[in-house]
Amino acid sequence: MSENELDAVIHAPARLRIVATLAALGPGDEIAFPKLRALLAMTAGNLSTHLRKLEDAGYVEVTKTHEGRTPATYLKLTDRGRAAFRDYRAALSDLLKGTGA
Amino acid sequence: MSKDHDTPSGTERGGDAELDAAARLRLISDQQQLTRSMLEPDARLLYLAWGAAWMVGYLAMWFTSRDGSDPAPWAGWTLGIAVVAAIAVTMIHSIRRTAGTRGTSARAGAMYGWGWMLGFVTMWAILNGLIRTGADGEMIAVTANGLACLIVGLMYLAGGMAFQEDSLYALGVWMLVTAAVASLVGVPGTNLVMALLGGGGFLTMGAVSAVRVRRRGNLDV
Repeated sequence: MSENELDAVIHAPARLRIVATLAALGPGDEIAFPKLRALLAMTAGNLSTHLRKLEDAGYVEVTKTHEGRTPATYLKLTDRGRAAFRDYRAALSDLLKGTGA
Repeated sequence: MSKDHDTPSGTERGGDAELDAAARLRLISDQQQLTRSMLEPDARLLYLAWGAAWMVGYLAMWFTSRDGSDPAPWAGWTLGIAVVAAIAVTMIHSIRRTAGTRGTSARAGAMYGWGWMLGFVTMWAILNGLIRTGADGEMIAVTANGLACLIVGLMYLAGGMAFQEDSLYALGVWMLVTAAVASLVGVPGTNLVMALLGGGGFLTMGAVSAVRVRRRGNLDV
């Protein structure tokens, strides 16, 4: 396993942090955009851009809703995204184990 | 370290993108730990709030009734205010931490929170029913302490089961033991048992949580 076999969607550090954060939630849990932004300390624009790429890859599910009159956006990792993250993490561990070889 | 930096991976590189596998794994675990600690209530704070409330409140009750008289009104107020303060700390802190999340965990947390509220509202009704039958101060004191500990104990058993936390379940067992001892000892010792075993139980769990948080932090260094 070499680095160029790693999942390109998750490999960018900003998206890796986003996916790691969402993977820390339970499979049935969603997080609001402002809360996710606070956990990542990213700008709203930057976070939106990366979330769109993750959504396009089918890794993140975006739900737009209303709470009272305020629009709210909730994010969650899809099953596919969770599996991709698990594979990515396993690949990193393999890379690390292969260090001395 | 294995670094194939000469083989482009097809992603945006440059800047902090040049991270090796070890750094990436650390990034993942740091971010996940931060996420969990920011979304879950801080157990240390909640145990400290409840431990202090029970310790101060029930010691005041015991101190003013240890000669066999009824507890002083100021002691009753101290216990009441301490418990209301602990409820406020718990609710505000938990709601802040879990705000902005929804789904299975948020639902389970809300149901658990309401369970506490329903339990104590029911206890209040039972005590009022007993007062109406003409129960004296001693009977009310023993029943109130026993019921309070019974509710706390059973809620922690439920919490340990729902959140799969052994320490929470163990605290539940401890609180049921406290309920039994506080009831069998009777007045005035019942209030001392509530302060030392009950309040002490919360404070001990707070200390255990603090040690755990520190260890978890050290592991990641």
